[in-house]
Amino acid sequence: MKFEHKKLNNGLNIVAEVNKEAQSAAIGFFTKTGARDETDNINGVSHFLEHMLFKGTDGLSALDVNLYFDNLGAVYNAFTSEENTVYYAATLPEQFAEVTKLWCKLLRPSLRDDDFNMEKNVILEEIAMYKDLPQFDVMDKCRALHFGVHPCAKSVLGTVESIKALKSEQMREYFDRRYAPDNITATVAGNFDFEEICDLIEAGCGKWPPKQTSRKTEYFAGTAKKDSEKKNNLNRLHICLASPTVSYQDEKCYAAMLLAKIIGDDSGSRFFWELIDTAIAETAVMQCEAMDGVGAFYSYINTDAKNGEKVMQIVESVFQSLQKEKISVKELQTAKNKVLSSITLKNEVPMGRLIELGFNWVYLGKYRPIEDEIQKIKDVSIDDLTALLADFPLTQYTQFSLGPKK
Amino acid sequence: MTEKIDIHKLSNGMVVLGIPMAQVQSAAFGFLLPAGAAVMPEDCCGAPAVIEDWIFRGAGGRTSRELTDLLDGLGLHRNASIKSKHIELSAATEANNLLSAIELYADVILKPTLDESQFEYSKQLALHGLAGLEDDPRQKTSLLLAEHFYPDPLGRSTVGKLEDLQNLGAEKCRRLISEDFNIADTIFAVAGKYDFAELCSLLEKLFASAQPKKAIDINAKKQILAYHHHPHDGAQVHIGIMFPTVTAQDPDYYNARAAVAVLSGGMSGRLFTEVREKRGLCYAIGASYNSLKEMAGIKCYAGTTPDKAQQTFDVIMGEFKKVGDQISEDELHRAKIGLKSSLIMQSESTSARAGAAGADYYMLGRVRSLEEIKQQIEKVTVKTVLDFLNKNPFEKFCSVTIGSAGIKTEQ
Repeated sequence: MKFEHKKLNNGLNIVAEVNKEAQSAAIGFFTKTGARDETDNINGVSHFLEHMLFKGTDGLSALDVNLYFDNLGAVYNAFTSEENTVYYAATLPEQFAEVTKLWCKLLRPSLRDDDFNMEKNVILEEIAMYKDLPQFDVMDKCRALHFGVHPCAKSVLGTVESIKALKSEQMREYFDRRYAPDNITATVAGNFDFEEICDLIEAGCGKWPPKQTSRKTEYFAGTAKKDSEKKNNLNRLHICLASPTVSYQDEKCYAAMLLAKIIGDDSGSRFFWELIDTAIAETAVMQCEAMDGVGAFYSYINTDAKNGEKVMQIVESVFQSLQKEKISVKELQTAKNKVLSSITLKNEVPMGRLIELGFNWVYLGKYRPIEDEIQKIKDVSIDDLTALLADFPLTQYTQFSLGPKK
Repeated sequence: MTEKIDIHKLSNGMVVLGIPMAQVQSAAFGFLLPAGAAVMPEDCCGAPAVIEDWIFRGAGGRTSRELTDLLDGLGLHRNASIKSKHIELSAATEANNLLSAIELYADVILKPTLDESQFEYSKQLALHGLAGLEDDPRQKTSLLLAEHFYPDPLGRSTVGKLEDLQNLGAEKCRRLISEDFNIADTIFAVAGKYDFAELCSLLEKLFASAQPKKAIDINAKKQILAYHHHPHDGAQVHIGIMFPTVTAQDPDYYNARAAVAVLSGGMSGRLFTEVREKRGLCYAIGASYNSLKEMAGIKCYAGTTPDKAQQTFDVIMGEFKKVGDQISEDELHRAKIGLKSSLIMQSESTSARAGAAGADYYMLGRVRSLEEIKQQIEKVTVKTVLDFLNKNPFEKFCSVTIGSAGIKTEQ
């Protein structure tokens, strides 16, 4: 695989990894903006704007856009998180130039009022949909509680109130401020010709006026608050825990990722043996979210409401034992094997490689070959895990529980 | 590109399928064991979910922990799913771990410990899964739709029924495993990087001693398609609709797939355009083709807030009724391109390719090459799709809603 990079005069970066063996090619425009870059009065605008980019430009209606993508047989979509908005498409190599040209156009949308008003209904439906998915709802509430006044507390979807009150002018102002070329990385992976795609991106995006964007990235350790909510329609207890860890930029994020596997992988982890193997809970998993300047471990547990207390006692004892006793070499090696095989599997598909490639550039401003990533995982030692646990004791967590009324 | 498909039968009849993929370093494999939800006796709904967990709690003389440590140590990405006819045990890994992984799976399938004390845990987990369904109305809609659409036992819940699960005992489950884990009727599929001769010789060594068992007959009852509402105090009303259609063996199969793609192939599909883009009624809306060997359906899901439920249902029904009147050349062209390109892109994943090979063999008795599927899609024309839709109009249907309000279906 060959890495290529070009920075356009207006600051837009193009990063690419060419794999001539692949059956397809994928492109993603990684825009470094999300809920954390919003203020309360426009909460949800990043995600709403992501929907609006599919509504077209001065020369393309929303239906034209969908027809265009579908005529190319593209797999295409977008997603928004607390700190990124990513637009992507994968096609067969022969359609790839066209899909690249299309995305370049769509990144300068019209943001028409009638489209804005209609799409508002869809966003409100999406908010309602997530209300019926307690595993997501509890994560959202726990994140808000954990980050308190830090910008990462903001909900990606926004609230019914903030979305209803949002005006199209506010969205346009946000777009002008955040969708500057220096805040966007065009990422390309799979089977394509770099020179050709680069020329197309330059022709499509090279004239966007340069602008300086920035983001506050102060570190925040979390509030360690506890809260809960009871709802009529729930049958189970959903618990989410959050505790601080290192950021994406910190080399220790590999140790953090392995630690989350050791504690909360869905098979053979500490949570697995204590909570799932014993049938005390249905789900008990932990993941590491290394973000821009901050990081958090999130655990999610789904259990019978009557088991709530018992579950938390077990979780406490798992966390405490990790603070006292060293993790075994075998446990670490198993976690490494799991992570290494997922890297192999993920990178075999251009869409999988695209995500890795794009985020490495967004967060680190550099290319990281797969071999380097593999080596960094292999290099993590027991001492690294011990040091991480000393710096970020798991016992200081924020907790949000969502459970049934009766 | 001509794709190679490896096929071999072990001496006891177990089928081994392989799709070599030169460009990858991984291999994915799956066993289709004929012990799915529909195969279970009347009072054992949910037994496959218990069995699928229990067999991994120790096998081949190893304890549960020893076995899990070995499987995890290989970095396996494991999955187990319950289908109408099968329990599917699958995994993906780096290619050099493939044979070791298969040896462990052979123990799980042929020599599970089935320890009594572990049984209760497996049963409790299945009960958790059933209780958890109440907090996932979308998933529940899908299961209820299958149950109400397919004649019993074909559409039987893969998660289980409370009473049956509560009454299920270890002895009963042991008997089900010994009767239903019929190796001669099991399909094994692998995709990715592997040596087929070496693989077949290992599988022969591991599985050949398992003697064929009597196949289980299933007598499906008659099903009347109707509307079912389940009250739920959630934010949305979850709507599921299913229309009968042709199975994967039918000459009209590709016409049915093209019709679904016209309705819901991409964001320019009719359902997305009419329900979401023009009216803003839903976030989630889509239709998909769903087939068992005996019968098939086109399934549609939409989630919307209660005051929009009736309109959402009416617009969806309108689109299904209209599609047989007219399809433009452009629409069909998009549908075909979408079907072909998603086929090729999915084929880059070893797991997807192994899963598709196993499913093909079960449904058709052979594995279709990508080239064959492409050619069949190519043959579809506006006329063939419209003729098919006129022969099989979307008239009868089954529908399910979960939410605070029901709908009027006029059926």
